[in-house]
Amino acid sequence: MHYSHTIKISSLKYSYRKETASPVLNGINLIAGENEYILLCGASGSGKSTLCRTLNGLIPHFYGGSIEGYVRIAGVVTTIRTVGDMLELVGMVFQNPEAQLFCSTAAHEIAFGLESLGLAPSEIKSRVTRAAEKLSIEDLLYRNPHTLSDGEKQLVAIAAATALSPKLIVLDEPYANLDPSNVQRVRCALKEIRNQGVCIVIAEHRLHYTLPDVDRVTVIHDGCIVIDSPPALLLPHHVKEYGLEFPLYEPWEDKIEISAPPPIAEMVLSAENIFFSKNGSPLLKDISFTLRKGECVAFLGANGAGKTTLLKHINGLYRPDKGKITLMGFDTSQKKIPELARYAGIAFQNPDNQFFRLNVLEEISAGAVALNCYDEKWIKKLIDLFNLEKLLKRAPYRLSGGEKKRVAFASALASKPAVLALDEPTAGQDARFRHSLSAFLSELAINGVSIILATHDILFAKQNAHRFLLMSKGKIISEGTPGKVISDKTAMRLAGLLPAERMKDDV
Amino acid sequence: MTFDPRTKLLLSVFYVILVVFSYELLPLIFEWVFILFLVLIAGKTKEYLRWFKAVALMAIFFSALVWWSSDGKSAFIAGFKLVNIASVFFAFFTSTSPEDLGNTLVKAGMPYPVAFVMSVSLQFVPVMARKAGNVLDAQRSRGIPIGQGLKAIRYFHVLLIPVFIQSIRLAEELAEAMESRGFGRPGRTFLKDYKMRAADWIAVFAGLLLLAAFFLLRQC
Repeated sequence: MHYSHTIKISSLKYSYRKETASPVLNGINLIAGENEYILLCGASGSGKSTLCRTLNGLIPHFYGGSIEGYVRIAGVVTTIRTVGDMLELVGMVFQNPEAQLFCSTAAHEIAFGLESLGLAPSEIKSRVTRAAEKLSIEDLLYRNPHTLSDGEKQLVAIAAATALSPKLIVLDEPYANLDPSNVQRVRCALKEIRNQGVCIVIAEHRLHYTLPDVDRVTVIHDGCIVIDSPPALLLPHHVKEYGLEFPLYEPWEDKIEISAPPPIAEMVLSAENIFFSKNGSPLLKDISFTLRKGECVAFLGANGAGKTTLLKHINGLYRPDKGKITLMGFDTSQKKIPELARYAGIAFQNPDNQFFRLNVLEEISAGAVALNCYDEKWIKKLIDLFNLEKLLKRAPYRLSGGEKKRVAFASALASKPAVLALDEPTAGQDARFRHSLSAFLSELAINGVSIILATHDILFAKQNAHRFLLMSKGKIISEGTPGKVISDKTAMRLAGLLPAERMKDDV
Repeated sequence: MTFDPRTKLLLSVFYVILVVFSYELLPLIFEWVFILFLVLIAGKTKEYLRWFKAVALMAIFFSALVWWSSDGKSAFIAGFKLVNIASVFFAFFTSTSPEDLGNTLVKAGMPYPVAFVMSVSLQFVPVMARKAGNVLDAQRSRGIPIGQGLKAIRYFHVLLIPVFIQSIRLAEELAEAMESRGFGRPGRTFLKDYKMRAADWIAVFAGLLLLAAFFLLRQC
C-alpha cells in the first residue's frame, strides 16, 4: 500500500466520556516519517498516554468516548479498522510489565501476535527466534515471564511487538519501573530497532534517559502539542512552564551537595550485622547502618539488591536470622509489628496496596486509629504538609498517581513515627511531584523525622539524602556522602547503577 | 519424546476412573507407585515432594474424618484415593503447559476465549498471591493488626478491598495488552502443531485396554 507518512494525525480531539466538557486531546496535529524517534513528554495528566492509545486504535475501539479528526498509520485510518487489524502496523508496549505478559513462556509471549496473524507454525518459530536474537534475549525464551526481572519483562514485550515487523512502535512510559542498568538495555534495543527503519514513539518522564536518543521532542500540555522540535534546539526555559525539566545527561555528576548532615543528633535506628535468607536464598548479608534524628539516608541499588527486604526489617515484617536492630532504643526482636509501626512508618511503592477506606481523610487516619494514637493536630499538620486539603472527601482509588503517593506518605506518618521509610517514591512520577516531595522531606527533617529512601533514582537520592548506602546483591558495597559514593565508579557499576563500559560506548 | 496434551489428558482421566473404582488397598498402592515411578523418570522428585507435603496434610485430615465416621481400612483407602488423584493432577500439570492444554482443547472444539481464560487464570495465581502478600505487608506496616488471631476477621476487608480492586485493574490492563496483540482476530494459528501420532494412539489404546481389564477382573 502506498502512503507518505508513518503517522499522520489531523486535528484530533478526544474525550473519554461523551458529555465531558474539556477534551483530553484538543486539536493534535502530528506528522512523522519512518525511522523517526519521537519523545512525547508532558506533566502527568497532560494526555501523553491517551495520545499513545490513539495510535493503534485502542482509542476509540477499546475505550469508547467521542473522537473527532483522524489518525492515519501508514495510510490506514484507525477509526475504520479494528485494533486487531492494526497489529501488523503498530506495536504497543505498556508501562506495567506485569500486566502485559500473559503466557507461560517468553517464547509463547512473542509468538502470540504472530499466532493472531494466522501464520504457519514454522514461520512463527523462525520469527520468534529472530526477534529474540535481535534483543539478545534468547536465554529467556523458555522462562516463565512472571519470574523475569522488570527490565527483562519489558524486553520480552518489545520483542513481542517487533516480531510482527510493525512500521511503528509505541511505548508508554517503558522506563517507569526499571533501574538504570535495565533502562540501558532497553535503550540500546530501541536504538537498534530505529536503525532498522521503524518509527518509534516513546512517552516518558525520565528525560535524561530519552533526550540523548531521540530525533524529536514533542511536548504535550492540556491536550495540545505546544512544542515540537529537535532536542538540540530545546532549552530548559522553553519547557519549564509545562512542568518539565531538562537535566544534563548524567545530572547527578554535578558538584552540588545538599546542606551538610545535621550535627551529631540522637540515634533513632541502628542495625548491626544483619543476615537474612528466604526459601534458602540469602537476601541480606552482613548489613549494618545507623540513622540519626533528622537525617536522611538513601539505600541505593538496582531492583533486587535487597532494599525492600531491608526496609521490612525495620518494623519486624521480616526478622533477621542473625544480627540486631535497635529502633528508638528498643531491641526490635522483643516487639510486635504494631508496636514497631508506631515508631517507624513505611510507605511501599504501590499505594493501591493499602487503600480500603471510602475517603482520603479516613484513609490517612486508619493506621493511627488502629494503633490508638490518633492525634487530630498532627493529622491536620500532615494534611497541610502534603497539600491534601482539597482531596479529603475524595475516594483514594480515584486519585492520580502522584496524589495517591501523597496520601500514602501521609498515612505512613499518621502515628507520628520517628522514622519514615519510602520505597521507590519517585517511580513513574513527573518533575513537579519530585519537587514537592523534596520540599516535604526537608520540612519533615526540620520536624525531626528521620528518613530512609530506598531507590534506584540516583538524582533524587542525591538531591535529598545526607548519606548513601550503596547495595548490591544483599550487601552494602559502598557508603558515605553522596558525592563520595557516586564518584566510586567501580562500586556504582557493580551495583548496576551506571552502564557497564561496553554499553556506554553504544550510547 | 512427549505425548500430545490430549493423550495426557485422556490417560489422566482413565487413571482417575481407575482410582475412583478401586476399593482395595493393594491396587491403590500400586497406582500410587506407578505415578511415583513417572515422577522419578521425569526428574521432578523435588517438586513432587513439595506438592506432596501439602497433599499429605489434607489426606491425613480426610482419613481421620473417615476413621471417626467408619473404620480404619476405609480411612486408609480414602486417604490413598486423595493422594493418587492429587498426584495425577501434579503429573499432568507439570508435564503440560497451560497453553498446550488450552490450544489442544481449542482444536478439540472448545471456543478459544474459554480455553484462553482457563490458561491465563492458571498463570496469574502466583501473581495474585504475591499481590496479597504485598497488601498484608503494607497494612501491617501502618499498624493494622491483620493476620493475628480473631482480630484478623474484623480486619479482613483491609486485605480484600485492595486485592479485589487491583485484580480488576490488572484485568483491564491485561485486556488492553491482549487487544493490542490481536486477541480475538479471526484465523488464529498456534506456535506448536498439535498432532496425534502413532505413539499417542497406542498409549490411549493401551490405557483403554488396561481400564477394561481392570473392570473385567473385578467382575470375576
